[in-house]
Amino acid sequence: MAPAVGDPALPSAPPPAQRPALRRTGRPTSVPRLSPGVPRASRAIRRRQTVIAYLFLAPTLLFFLVFLVLPLLFAALLALSRWTGFDLSDIRPVGMANFADLFAHGSTFLTPILTNTLLYAFGTVVLALCGALVIAHCVNRLRFRGFWRTLYFLPLVTTVVAVGNVWKYMYEPGGLINGVLNGLGLPSLAFLQDPDTALPSVIVVQAWASTGSAILILTAGLTAIPGVYYEAAELDGAGDRTIFWRITLPLLRPSLLFVCLTQFIAGLQSFALINVMTGDGGPGDATNVAALEMYQQAFRYGDWGIAGAAAFVLFLVIAVITALQLWLFRRKDEEA
Amino acid sequence: MSGHRDERARRSGSTPSGNPPTGRRIRLQLGPRLRLRLRNRTPWFSYAIVITGAALTVIPFLDMLMTSFKGPGEYGKLPYRFLPEAFSLTNYRAAIRQLDLPLLFRNSTLATVLITGSTLLTSSLAGYALAKLRFPGRELVFRLVLATMMFPPFLFFIPHFLILVHWPAAGGNDLLGRGGAGLTVSLAALVMPFLVSSFGIFLMRQFMVSIPDEMLEAARIDGAGEFTVWWRIVLPQTKPVAVTLALLTFVSSWNEYIWALLVSTANPRLMTLPVGIQLLQSHLDPDRMVPVMMAGLVLSVLPVLLLFLLLQKHYVRGVMLSGLK
Repeated sequence: MAPAVGDPALPSAPPPAQRPALRRTGRPTSVPRLSPGVPRASRAIRRRQTVIAYLFLAPTLLFFLVFLVLPLLFAALLALSRWTGFDLSDIRPVGMANFADLFAHGSTFLTPILTNTLLYAFGTVVLALCGALVIAHCVNRLRFRGFWRTLYFLPLVTTVVAVGNVWKYMYEPGGLINGVLNGLGLPSLAFLQDPDTALPSVIVVQAWASTGSAILILTAGLTAIPGVYYEAAELDGAGDRTIFWRITLPLLRPSLLFVCLTQFIAGLQSFALINVMTGDGGPGDATNVAALEMYQQAFRYGDWGIAGAAAFVLFLVIAVITALQLWLFRRKDEEA
Repeated sequence: MSGHRDERARRSGSTPSGNPPTGRRIRLQLGPRLRLRLRNRTPWFSYAIVITGAALTVIPFLDMLMTSFKGPGEYGKLPYRFLPEAFSLTNYRAAIRQLDLPLLFRNSTLATVLITGSTLLTSSLAGYALAKLRFPGRELVFRLVLATMMFPPFLFFIPHFLILVHWPAAGGNDLLGRGGAGLTVSLAALVMPFLVSSFGIFLMRQFMVSIPDEMLEAARIDGAGEFTVWWRIVLPQTKPVAVTLALLTFVSSWNEYIWALLVSTANPRLMTLPVGIQLLQSHLDPDRMVPVMMAGLVLSVLPVLLLFLLLQKHYVRGVMLSGLK
């Protein structure tokens, strides 16, 4: 394995008197090059270092081979085949048929599932970002910032099973939220059972759970804004609101964009919370999202091909949206 | 005191721009007074918002705790009451009995410890090679590590599961991976897809780059091999980042749900805490089951919550670092 890398296969060193400094790789080395005996010795040292380096990397590279490259190839194969899941020799190649099935007329994949996915991600980002912005702005004016940030971070270190179930039972007729509604004289709502309110109810929980990290990043961004700007604005007689819109927001843009991007992507691919709260994405397909559909097609209905195709479609959607967002940010940064 | 520092900073900053000295004086005098005025005004409005938000964050946790103490028949009764009538521990006893908590705790702990240990080891090994050794292909490997972070985890659930089930010559499989249950017979199934973390490698590499080369060179001249250098010189210095990485890994593997669910449908002996508690939903009648479930959740959330509160500084730094990738 080791001799195959680099250039150690040279039979002998070049005549040392003429060109001792030039390496075959064209890269300068840190080893002294003046005395004629050194190139050979340094090459030996480098060869040894290469072997050692790949020994250090061996566990990682082996892991990547088995749990990254192989799975990706396998996933691609599955997406182009039909398979019921028992014997590997039963895999039948069907070309693009799985993708055609996903987008066929009457398929639920495009609507409501993919639409739900986008709504879920979008709703989460909007709620979490607005909440986090207001709270981060206020936290930054108080003392004990660390304490508040820790508090807001609690949902993020809690397992999704706890978050999902606690909220699920808070939404129940006998739960906390309906208790508060009844206390205010309002009628109970069937949050997760009603197809109209189920998706918003789940979005609220996902936003609740992800606000903490947004607050963390935004408070760091706010602290990084130099106080001189605020002093100058106050001198010019700007009010609190003007300062917020004209100074805080524009200078916070990098942090805002970062939060936006990461949370949107996380929203597109997450399905554990929905799986905990509504099981199969019900009522009907009201809370079904693409990643959950993939999961169910594979492990519930045994249709691995459709599941693989759904995974690739979602991956493509994520890649396109990421590229789009990055492109937008870059363009805005150039304008500024 | 701080005014002096301001003055010096401002003077050195504004000399090249050539502000008239008088203008500078005025700003100097106004600066601290403005800041004083800002500090004296108690931000009531901010307090109100932050406390409301904090209440919204904490109330679900309190509801979980309170529900876990509610007696039989008390949950689901209308009108809703936040506090239990009497703090009874029957739900905790029921949770320990019905859930087989010892097994769940054992699986969760073993898996978490193995994953965290392996992540630390492989990340520091690979990070050292990428930061401090010169060899052909280094850039390529580093790019590969960065690229792997782009793939969303859901892409891997299905292939990982199939690879583990059809692992050759394990769990009754033949050499072609047929016939048996593969690696799902052992704890390896819970652990293997998480043994290496690209983010961990990245974190370690970035940290190790800043260790001065002279230090390593001195050790090498003294005759130390690369493994000795890594173990004796580099590892002791990576302690802060190692704590951060360990904590992030610990929390995420303790809380992991989807993969553990898949593995334990294949082999129920491998159930972890989140999965075991979630599966309570399918038995019993709901009004009796919910308080038991909440008791189980309190027990399973407690260790990681305590760990987080103790070491939250390191955790927060990890989240910030992951934000910088």
